[in-house]
Amino acid sequence: MDEKILVERAKGGDKAAFAQLVNTYSDRIYNLALRILRKKEDAEDILQETFLTVLEKINTFDGRSSFFTWIYRIATNASLMRLRKKKIVFQELSDHSDFQESVESRVFIDWSQDPAANVYTSEVKNKIDDAINKLPDIYRSVFILRDIESLSIKETSAILNITDENVKIRLRRARQFLRDHLSDYFDERIVGNNA
Amino acid sequence: MPERFHNLYIEQLCEVMSEDIDELACKEIIEYLNSCPTCKVYYDTVKKTVHLCRERNVEVEIPEEVNIRLLKVLKIEGYCE
Repeated sequence: MDEKILVERAKGGDKAAFAQLVNTYSDRIYNLALRILRKKEDAEDILQETFLTVLEKINTFDGRSSFFTWIYRIATNASLMRLRKKKIVFQELSDHSDFQESVESRVFIDWSQDPAANVYTSEVKNKIDDAINKLPDIYRSVFILRDIESLSIKETSAILNITDENVKIRLRRARQFLRDHLSDYFDERIVGNNA
Repeated sequence: MPERFHNLYIEQLCEVMSEDIDELACKEIIEYLNSCPTCKVYYDTVKKTVHLCRERNVEVEIPEEVNIRLLKVLKIEGYCE
């Protein structure tokens, strides 16, 4: 059944229609929350919170955005609120702060071909988790939506209510932050192996 | 390649990676990449970083007990297949 019809029926209190919307989006919302919060218990809480909010506010959904954008916005905001409450947000940087993007005077080691970067040892997994955990939340949300969930720039900007240009800036900084964090590990490995 | 030129391409490198750039501009950046070892290493390691993070975040199914609790909280247990 067409999603618009399902939403209209759910607005009118049709539980079967609402259940179908839950069935359609629950996997994606759970994964989104898990990717942002990194803990299964938190992801379950956000999953429940998101659909309770949908249930409560579905009559305010006016269709100006897609239902997908609307529900993703609810889930993303809830996840970011949870991050802030848990105080696992590191320094919150503005889009125009002095984030070091310059590559001048920096020496890069090419670890992309390092065999260790192709084997998911628990150490490598921990490094990746650690890097994502340290990623400031304004960059984390963009990175998860754009690079992990593979949403478009338009979808990401609509969900986060920011401009396309801000999505691009935050994505660039997120990737650089993560790259630098992983480079600390892989560079050290390569230098150690060559010593 | 003078160092000051590297930064001119950082933004475009990111857009090339996401395919958020038109074909002509993309071709120009790729040509530049092949002529600048510093930016090539930067590009390859960023690309690898994104790949590693994607692999670490593969989609999982909701555990059955989590789904059961969700339907119960929403009071729609009897409405799902």
